[in-house]
Amino acid sequence: MKRKGLRFYAKIYCKILAQDLKSKMSYRADFIISTIGMIFTNIAGFISFWILFRNFPSINGWGYYEMLFLYGFSLVSLTPVQCFFDNNWSLRQHVYTGDFIKYCFRPINTFFYYQSEIFDIKGLGQLAFGLITLIYSWIKIGLGFTPLMLLKMIVFLITASLIMIALQNAAAATCFWIQNSFYVLDLAYRFRDYAKYPITIFSPVFRFIFTFLMPIAFIAYYPSLVILRPDKVPLLSWLSPIIGIAFFWLSYKIWMHGAKNYSGTGS
Amino acid sequence: MKLKKYLTLTRAGIIEALQFRLSFLVMVIGNLLYLIVVYFLWKAIYASAGTDVVNGMSFTDTLIYLVLATALFNFMEMYTVWEIGRNIQSGKIVLDLLKPMEYRKYLFWSYSGSFVTQFFLTFLPTFIAVAIVTHGAIPLGVNLIYFVLSVVMAVSINYSIDFLVGTICLYTESIWGINIMKQVIVLLLSGATIPIAFFPEPLKTIVHYLPFQSIYNAPLSLLLDGNPATETVLSTLGTQLIWCIIMMVISKLFWKFSLRQITVNGG
Repeated sequence: MKRKGLRFYAKIYCKILAQDLKSKMSYRADFIISTIGMIFTNIAGFISFWILFRNFPSINGWGYYEMLFLYGFSLVSLTPVQCFFDNNWSLRQHVYTGDFIKYCFRPINTFFYYQSEIFDIKGLGQLAFGLITLIYSWIKIGLGFTPLMLLKMIVFLITASLIMIALQNAAAATCFWIQNSFYVLDLAYRFRDYAKYPITIFSPVFRFIFTFLMPIAFIAYYPSLVILRPDKVPLLSWLSPIIGIAFFWLSYKIWMHGAKNYSGTGS
Repeated sequence: MKLKKYLTLTRAGIIEALQFRLSFLVMVIGNLLYLIVVYFLWKAIYASAGTDVVNGMSFTDTLIYLVLATALFNFMEMYTVWEIGRNIQSGKIVLDLLKPMEYRKYLFWSYSGSFVTQFFLTFLPTFIAVAIVTHGAIPLGVNLIYFVLSVVMAVSINYSIDFLVGTICLYTESIWGINIMKQVIVLLLSGATIPIAFFPEPLKTIVHYLPFQSIYNAPLSLLLDGNPATETVLSTLGTQLIWCIIMMVISKLFWKFSLRQITVNGG
């Protein structure tokens, strides 16, 4: 098979996206309710955050606005996984019922085709919420603004996204080997809730686990240090873009390995 | 005779749940991870606070409260909204409605098997683990009886709310959005995310007039109080009983009313 270029894939993505949006629009009530549900989730998350900090002014040397910054950072970095990779949630059913076989017969990359089929617009609400939180806390901390900082911010947000995408891909791919992999995916999904806390609150053992074995700390903590504490950035923060790409590549390989060995259900 | 047909459904549920042993393992790991995060987070929070007791709750109290709230959540979550929603979308609900048993009861009892398995496989181990970690800070006395009574009513209230929300799916054909809204509201306002004792004043009063605090806050505060005053116990259990009846009546009436409006595609 000839390797297709990036432009080809971009064109295809837009075409599939347009179809997906059309089909979503035919369930308008569902779309509106889901969007409201997403906004609810974010507001509730914020309220519990606010209640917590009304009682406790700081956590482990992290002030209110710094924690808010972490919170906003994690929300923004979780947007791509919500928007572009939401089809991972249905992978289990597709594999189980045998529908998945249809993706294997297309003359384009299976992973790409599968993920491009669904674009989750709800994620955009989260993005807006996250950006507002991020900018608000940025101003309140008085970080200042330079083009270099913006560049750093973008690079490290993408890094954080890659880690979360990688975690979800790997979790979703487990369904190729075990039945009822919902719990694995749910576990990975819950990581996002833990991402918004500074890793320094944990004991050294768990700091190690959450850094290297389950890289939750890379979803918000390490990348945001580059902006928040620019004078003492640990080496791991600078390494995080490489780690992000490596994890993403690894998860892609696992996913594709499962897809290649998929034998269908025979129906 | 009457009870026998319900218990048959319970038994079927237990057998079904035991089919998925691996998912139990993953769930246990997930819960363990959650416990670790909660433990270190609140430890850091209390360390920064400088005082041992905040809003009448010590670190151990908060830990027991939050951990058992999660255990209760796993115990009580029956995915009723999903089940009703999926049955409506697939048309299977027509078959369930034809069964010689009220749909509301049928759904409850076919899930009751997971109460049994969840109790022994997640709630009890968590309870014992917490009791050991906190060096027996859970008072073991007459409060356990109140706790069990309270949990039974909490299950009923929770199911009524779920059933009520599930009925809304008949109109909206949206599951995800409806379910996430319900979950967010219940978890926040019931004190499962942050103990209600930490809520600021106007919110605290409002929450006490809502049915949600009867689900998690009521049983947990009864459990944590080793030497409860009779008045407190009576008022807590009484409030629960009132909500139990109100929610049951509302959900039954709403279902009855909605059944006349139902349109099912295919089936």
